[in-house]
Amino acid sequence: MKSQNERARTFLMIAVPILLLFFAFNTLPLIKGFMYSFTNFRGYGTKFDWVGWRNYIDLFTDSRVGNSYWFTFKLALVATILINILSLIMALALNAKIRFKSFLRGMYFIPNILGALVVGYIFSYIFTYILPAITSTASMLANKNLAWIAIVIVCAWQSIAMNTLIYISGLQTVPEDVYEAASLDGATGWNRFRYITFPLIMPFFTINMVLCMKNNLMVFDQIMALTKGGPAQSTESISFLIYNNGMGGGQFGFQSANAVIFFIVIVIISVLQLKYLNKKEEQL
Amino acid sequence: MANQEIKATERFNWPVTILLLLGLFTVLFPLYMTVIIAFKQPSEMTNSVIGLLSFPKEWSLDNFREAMRVTDFWRSLFNSFLITGITMVISIIVHSLMGYAVARNMGTSKFYRFSYFYIVSGMFVPFAILMMPLVKQTAQLHIDNMFGVIILYVVFYMPMNVLLYAGYLKNIPIALEEAAHVDGASTWTTYWKIIFPLMWPMHATVAVLTALGTWNDVMTPLVIMSGSGMTTLPLAQLTFQTQFGTNYNLAFASYLLALLPMLIFYIVAQKQIINGVINGAVK
Amino acid sequence: MRRLLLGLALVLCLSVSAFAAPVEIELVHYKQEAYEIFKQLEEKFNATHTDIHVRFLSPADAVTIMKTRFIRENYPDIIGIGGDMDFSNFQDAGLLADVSDYPGLAKIKPAYIDIINGLKFLPEPGTYGVPFMANAAGILYNRDMFNQHGWKIPDSWPEFIKLCDDIQAAGIRPLYFGYRDTWTTLAPWNALAVGIAPADVCQQVNEGKTTFTEQYREVAEKIHALLKYGEEGPFAYSYNDACTAFARGESAMYTIGSYAVPQILSVNPNMNIDSFVFPARDEPGAQTLNSGVDLMFCVLEECPNKQAAYKVIDFLLEPENIQMYVDAQNGVPCSKGDFRLAPMLDGMKHYIDAGKMADYHDHHYPSEMAVDAQIQTYLLNGDINAFLSRFDSDWVRYNRDLISKVKKYNASH
Repeated sequence: MKSQNERARTFLMIAVPILLLFFAFNTLPLIKGFMYSFTNFRGYGTKFDWVGWRNYIDLFTDSRVGNSYWFTFKLALVATILINILSLIMALALNAKIRFKSFLRGMYFIPNILGALVVGYIFSYIFTYILPAITSTASMLANKNLAWIAIVIVCAWQSIAMNTLIYISGLQTVPEDVYEAASLDGATGWNRFRYITFPLIMPFFTINMVLCMKNNLMVFDQIMALTKGGPAQSTESISFLIYNNGMGGGQFGFQSANAVIFFIVIVIISVLQLKYLNKKEEQL
Repeated sequence: MANQEIKATERFNWPVTILLLLGLFTVLFPLYMTVIIAFKQPSEMTNSVIGLLSFPKEWSLDNFREAMRVTDFWRSLFNSFLITGITMVISIIVHSLMGYAVARNMGTSKFYRFSYFYIVSGMFVPFAILMMPLVKQTAQLHIDNMFGVIILYVVFYMPMNVLLYAGYLKNIPIALEEAAHVDGASTWTTYWKIIFPLMWPMHATVAVLTALGTWNDVMTPLVIMSGSGMTTLPLAQLTFQTQFGTNYNLAFASYLLALLPMLIFYIVAQKQIINGVINGAVK
Repeated sequence: MRRLLLGLALVLCLSVSAFAAPVEIELVHYKQEAYEIFKQLEEKFNATHTDIHVRFLSPADAVTIMKTRFIRENYPDIIGIGGDMDFSNFQDAGLLADVSDYPGLAKIKPAYIDIINGLKFLPEPGTYGVPFMANAAGILYNRDMFNQHGWKIPDSWPEFIKLCDDIQAAGIRPLYFGYRDTWTTLAPWNALAVGIAPADVCQQVNEGKTTFTEQYREVAEKIHALLKYGEEGPFAYSYNDACTAFARGESAMYTIGSYAVPQILSVNPNMNIDSFVFPARDEPGAQTLNSGVDLMFCVLEECPNKQAAYKVIDFLLEPENIQMYVDAQNGVPCSKGDFRLAPMLDGMKHYIDAGKMADYHDHHYPSEMAVDAQIQTYLLNGDINAFLSRFDSDWVRYNRDLISKVKKYNASH
């Protein structure tokens, strides 16, 4: 009993200061931002008016905001699925008994380190000049029905490395003897993955789904680098509007309201995702 | 150990190796473009495919030298190292502790369950909404400097890292700690002696992801430290982009220089991930 | 008694230190590319002045830095910004001081003072900045190519269309756009708008006197008519692509401002570029140059020593310092007097000298309304009525607070 108390006390002494720190530099500014969402504040200066719920009412009648939600969710869903499938395959391959392991792992990590300016320039060039020259079609970036696919490709190219890394570290928790036992039972290939490896790395699948969904829902850099929201405003993501119009423009109050709603939406999605996947983990 | 090494050299999976080598094209081609642009002069830039993919007229290191001069490379590099390094170390210590506290109590305690979702949901706050209040807050606390930037990073990366650590700990059996407890060790000691070393692969993963995020970040130092006279590598690299013109050649040279330390760090760290002691320990 | 003595000592100390230490003046400006010039000017100023010591800062992403410093209440003494929406917002937020009492304003061309006064949201009195440099937009052309073919500079819209046809007939692409970066659509848009629509169109709309549908229809028709003279699928190419293409002789002309010249010359340092005023109007000789304030100095309301700040601006306005800046940055000085301009401004010089110019219309558009993206959308789908009616309805939506403020102001004055 005494040791139970000691354990509980230790955990509290760890958790409380960290929670306080987190509150001070994440929740507190969020609350302040939430207050600005009821104003027409431009982000600096002292002059602003309280406008009540106007920003929120505007939000639901603004077709630009509506389009940005549609675009962002479409992109996030497709990119998340694509990235997770590809990075799981990459992780399995890079974790296999391959030659040049360190070299290959290093090379495949490079896309994640290259800055947005480089990625933007290179891929603009590929989409504008190289691909049309090969396929003799017009640039994807100029087509408002295809530009989002170009962004999915670049998002995937850049973030597969990170998700692969997480899967690789997950694969390290699978003890070698599990495989040995499995191969004795004759489980190989797909079956071994489906019934042995995957259930064991399920917690990492959960993490990757959540992180990936979050990164893709907050897509910003790739859009600034490739399309700047065009063509014909077809690739304006929610973060693009929040950042450009809130920080760059004079809509700080309105975009704060947008950010608050966006935050609530992603939290709901992610908590549902976590709960569902955690339940799956327990079932396995 | 010796036995394992023999097994590793015994038979390589060549089909997978070859597929991976072929897939490398998707990385090497953009990298090739980056490298040749970094060596070219602005006057060699064209809009034709052949012109862009051709070698520079001469392989001179002038762009790299100029990029280093413009960004005050060594000083910026030092600052970037300092911020990234300190953030990384604090993150590993603080976030793994929080992940541990959460993972071991989530099943039984509402408080920790709430804490877990509370912290993880912090990940979804768009930075744009936090930015202005944080600028004010850090100024009022007189931490509108490197110190403040590090604190903010530790807070920003907490959701992701707690998620990672808590997930990882699910695969570490609790029986290990209980055995130590029976021997009379305190929770704190058990953590540092048994759990912390066991999480080495995750520490390496967290280190890479946190370091990468801080290494490339422009926004936080820009808004928090501006005016402190200190510059980081990404901040210095903003110099290459002005309102009406971008010097891609110098910028690319500078990005390649900034990429190297991260790449080396990653290769070292991923060795840690593979050589993680967990397999042996769990057995 | 002791307190009195202490007080005296303090006063003494302060006054001694006032003699010893010069006044610090900090200037932050957004022309990061002019870093070298400001560094030289800073050294020159500090070498010649003992009572004032200046620090000229040229940070990257300076406007963000200014905004965050305002939040921190860590104010510079002078800021150097462009005559655009940021200026209007800073002025409206009460951050800038009225410099009407600054004697140096007499040296500035009245046209530019009018331009910055017109940028204020409310028609209240006062001048809140000292215009330093201007830029000009219209059409850049490849002078060697024009000489070789004997093409003449057009002076009206029909002449311009004829010129484009001639160039096309010679097997050369007349124009380059690079519309993937949405902001580039504003370059021809502004240049056309200053010629066709009244300079204060936004203010008139705010007062309910007219609509954009009425004023901008011709502008919209003309910008669309140009598409067939440019590259195929202009929405695939960026600003950078367009600069490179023009520098490589892939087009005879480029619809952009003088600010693009350094980027073009970086690709082709020997290129012979000249410019002319956008011939927006149908009748010859009736054109207006599109010119705006590129860099102006604003004294902050919080600046404790305005006279010292004025002295620093006096220094910057000295003709030799202006000439130094002009030579390095291809700028157009806002001061009266004779300056040597960059050769690519030859074609615009007589408009500049005569003051026949008007400000970029987009300096009055709220950036969050994304007029550039709307123009891009219109150029893609060609639906002029949808574009114009959305312009009007979005305008009211994004300027709601401003419109009611202007109404209130006008009612009380």
